[in-house]
Amino acid sequence: MPEPNRPDTPLDAQGAALDEAVVTRGEPGRARSLSSDAWHDLRRNPVFVISALLILFLLLIAIWPSSIASRDPLYCQLSRSLEGPAPGHWFGFDTQGCDVYTRVVYGARASIAVGVCATLGVALLGTVVGGLAGFFGGFWDALLSRTTDVFFAVPLVLGAIVFLSMIQLSGIWPVVLVIAALGWPQIARIARGAVITAKQNDYVQAARALGASNSRILLRHILPNAVAPVIVMATIMLGTIIALEATLSFLGVGLRPPTVSWGVDISSASDGMQFRNAPHILLYPAAALSLCVLAFIMMGDAVRDALDPKLR
Amino acid sequence: MGRYVIRRLLQMIPVFIGATFLIFLMVYALGDPVTGLFGDRAPDAATAARLRAEFNLDKPVWQQYLLYMGNIFTGDFGTAFNGRPVTELLAQAIPISFRLMLVAIVFEIVLGIVLGVVTGLRRGKAADTSVLMATLVVIAIPTFVLGTTLQFFLGVKLGWINPAVSPAAPFDELLVPGIILALVSLAYVTRLTRTSIVENARADYVRTAVAKGLPRRRVTTRHLLRNSLIPVVTYLGADIGTLMAGAIVTERIFNIQGVGYQLYEGILRQNSPTVVGFVVVLVLIFLVANLLVDLLYAVLDPRIRYA
Amino acid sequence: MTDDRLLEVRDLEVEFTTRDGVVRALNGVSYGVDAGETLAVLGESGSGKSVTAQAIMGILDMPPGRITGGEILFQGRDLLGLGAEERRKIRGPKMAMIFQDALSSLNPVLSVGFQLGEMFRVHRGASRKEAKERAVELMERVRIPAARQRVNDYPHEFSGGMRQRIMIAMALALEPDLIIADEPTTALDVTVQAQVMDLLADLQREYRMGLILITHDLGVVADTADRIAVMYAGRIVENAPVKELYAAPAHPYTKGLLDSIPRLDQKGGQLYAISGLPPNLLHVPDGCPFHPRCPRARDRCRTDLPPLYAVSERAAGGAADATAEAAEAAAADAAHDDIARVPEVGERSSACHYWKETVDDARRA
Repeated sequence: MPEPNRPDTPLDAQGAALDEAVVTRGEPGRARSLSSDAWHDLRRNPVFVISALLILFLLLIAIWPSSIASRDPLYCQLSRSLEGPAPGHWFGFDTQGCDVYTRVVYGARASIAVGVCATLGVALLGTVVGGLAGFFGGFWDALLSRTTDVFFAVPLVLGAIVFLSMIQLSGIWPVVLVIAALGWPQIARIARGAVITAKQNDYVQAARALGASNSRILLRHILPNAVAPVIVMATIMLGTIIALEATLSFLGVGLRPPTVSWGVDISSASDGMQFRNAPHILLYPAAALSLCVLAFIMMGDAVRDALDPKLR
Repeated sequence: MGRYVIRRLLQMIPVFIGATFLIFLMVYALGDPVTGLFGDRAPDAATAARLRAEFNLDKPVWQQYLLYMGNIFTGDFGTAFNGRPVTELLAQAIPISFRLMLVAIVFEIVLGIVLGVVTGLRRGKAADTSVLMATLVVIAIPTFVLGTTLQFFLGVKLGWINPAVSPAAPFDELLVPGIILALVSLAYVTRLTRTSIVENARADYVRTAVAKGLPRRRVTTRHLLRNSLIPVVTYLGADIGTLMAGAIVTERIFNIQGVGYQLYEGILRQNSPTVVGFVVVLVLIFLVANLLVDLLYAVLDPRIRYA
Repeated sequence: MTDDRLLEVRDLEVEFTTRDGVVRALNGVSYGVDAGETLAVLGESGSGKSVTAQAIMGILDMPPGRITGGEILFQGRDLLGLGAEERRKIRGPKMAMIFQDALSSLNPVLSVGFQLGEMFRVHRGASRKEAKERAVELMERVRIPAARQRVNDYPHEFSGGMRQRIMIAMALALEPDLIIADEPTTALDVTVQAQVMDLLADLQREYRMGLILITHDLGVVADTADRIAVMYAGRIVENAPVKELYAAPAHPYTKGLLDSIPRLDQKGGQLYAISGLPPNLLHVPDGCPFHPRCPRARDRCRTDLPPLYAVSERAAGGAADATAEAAEAAAADAAHDDIARVPEVGERSSACHYWKETVDDARRA
């Protein structure tokens, strides 16, 4: 559904028309570009630093889980089912008698793999569709924008459930595929808006007047400007996509055992309220999942604040 | 204005067709509607072929779609997994889901906007920072985790609520599920309102309002709020879709027999008419909600051209 | 100080806390306006013109802004000593402000009639209907055609000039004693500028209001202002009746500004431009803040901050026909009286150690 036409000047003017004395603060001695300014802000933003360290840590254990968990996540002793924390097993045992700590550590891999791959797919598809629509305008814009509207009208969770249950396949790749195939409209809208804004810049008009080719203008002048909002949106989406994978697993259509993932473990813990006598089997995977989602959302949030001078 | 509404209605048609076709394609091309009819038993080849012919499944998928849509517009949604017409199931489920969504939307609008305005006006203060952090935590904890946990504590441990909602699903039983359904959107509404308030609080027209000697309260309610709510209204329109999809999770946790619950049952039992029928209705609701929001948007912001 | 004195700003100091440190936006600004008088405040962006105006109106953003010293006497009362509610009641009925960009300064989602009528509803307790009626009258007052039909239109439906008229109407609504116009014509086309300025000047005469006209356009000033205060880096550098200032500026910065106006009678000559950039308020140069850009700067200017010297006709003007030596001698004599004397607010004054030379050079030219 297209945004209603609205003039973009008044809001922009409001942002620009700051008090004259305050404006001078942007130029203290040395000129600073927006990106270096943003970086300067980010390094001092505790929210960014904490989330970046957390993400780094999660990425490391996703790649080398064995470095901090020496056991096998699939080695389970039914005799110890639902046992509480014990020496060497800080997080206790789940229903199958598997070590919860080991499973939480190994669960990072599937969750983050789905998150990263699906986000890459979403960002790529969205940028291409939105970028082309914004750049060419006219017929192509109408066609691509209506296509975006179609996919936007199908809620992501809904579409993903239908798709996954119909193809009767589970595992990381089907989940990645369906999220990428259905989740791109939001990015496409942002990319389209950013490209249209960038296209109106004087230097793009100048490049066009100098006879630069379409592809050169698109790649050299427009894309670099449109990429920042897409990256911010994608970072935030990465968090929600990880949560989405867990939701799909909870509903029984995402990842399934023996795949080790936070969503799978939360799902089996809450199945029939198995956690009622052993809260640890729900607590630890849920905490790990939430922390991971939180880290990505916080990071995206901090980056957006830094890139948006209006909110300073 | 009238022409604008008509134009928007016309624009909705291709989107409606596209979205329903997309789902139709998934269900009828990827899934196997006939196997779904038999559950776990495999049908013999002759019966399967007869059924295929009966349900037009031997025709190309676009023809199937046209035939299906033709039936839908005559009010024939097909037969659901329990042998009753899909329309009957819909008539039963929609009021329940509507009540649930109403609880969620009211909660999210009232609390979200109040929190957003309060934090936006106190930017950087302790209240602002803690509400902001809280919204992030709420967004980060998946609904199904929160739902199951609260169901356990409030329903099983403390016994304050019924862990499973009764089939009639009156408003009071839907209160907790509705709040859980709304939480993530509530966090987004809070953040969006706050951002919008912060941005607009610096606007020239707010300074003008102060320079006119208006009382603080009037500056906030008449000048700042009205402008700041424009993006929030847009968000709420798109959020209808999120709530409908989110209802699948919430309704499943609390056993609420609404649209999401029945749709999920339909998916599990591979019953194509149920799935497609419910999705068609959901898409329609989503599109109508968005149209209403667009019109509201135009009322709120006179700069919109109805061209 | 005359009995007519409407507003007097004394030694006003304002700071802004920014990410890069504390910016001293105003360093002891003093000026005054009488009833019925127009004071033009002149200066580049960042000189503190608008900050002074906002401090007077009480609409300075605090934080990041902070008033650290001085007083603002309005009709004999120090506004800085009043509570927020008392200040609010002054805004509108007693003093009003016209902003530069009417498009962003008017609320985009409220009709102009509502925004005009709001003044009467809030300050006078008028009914909705009454307020609308008064709004129409106001629009007619500022010569908006078809006012009755347009009263329910929104700001974006008006042209730039008409919008600025609405801003003026809003400021005039309660017939305040003082109007501050912050670059009221900068955003307008040249032809419309003149119309809007004429309207403002007419209305000011009619209501006998004090007007503070903030501008960087010397052309506008010459026609409408009675007195001029020139600001530079958060200070007043020259304060003078408009004719005297045009005849002979007493500060090199003012002279630079005057020389940079294109003039028909000096066609073909090089247009003067003040060299350098306005100072960064985080690092204002020692001594006279203007010295890095001043053609007249000497060693003393780099170390000693010039106070506001009273500029007397006797000291400088009398020497106009004499030889340079005689003029300097006369100036030296006069210096004994003048340097120690702090000028009255509103008296002709200049913040240049070498104001006499500046005036004399200007006279000779």
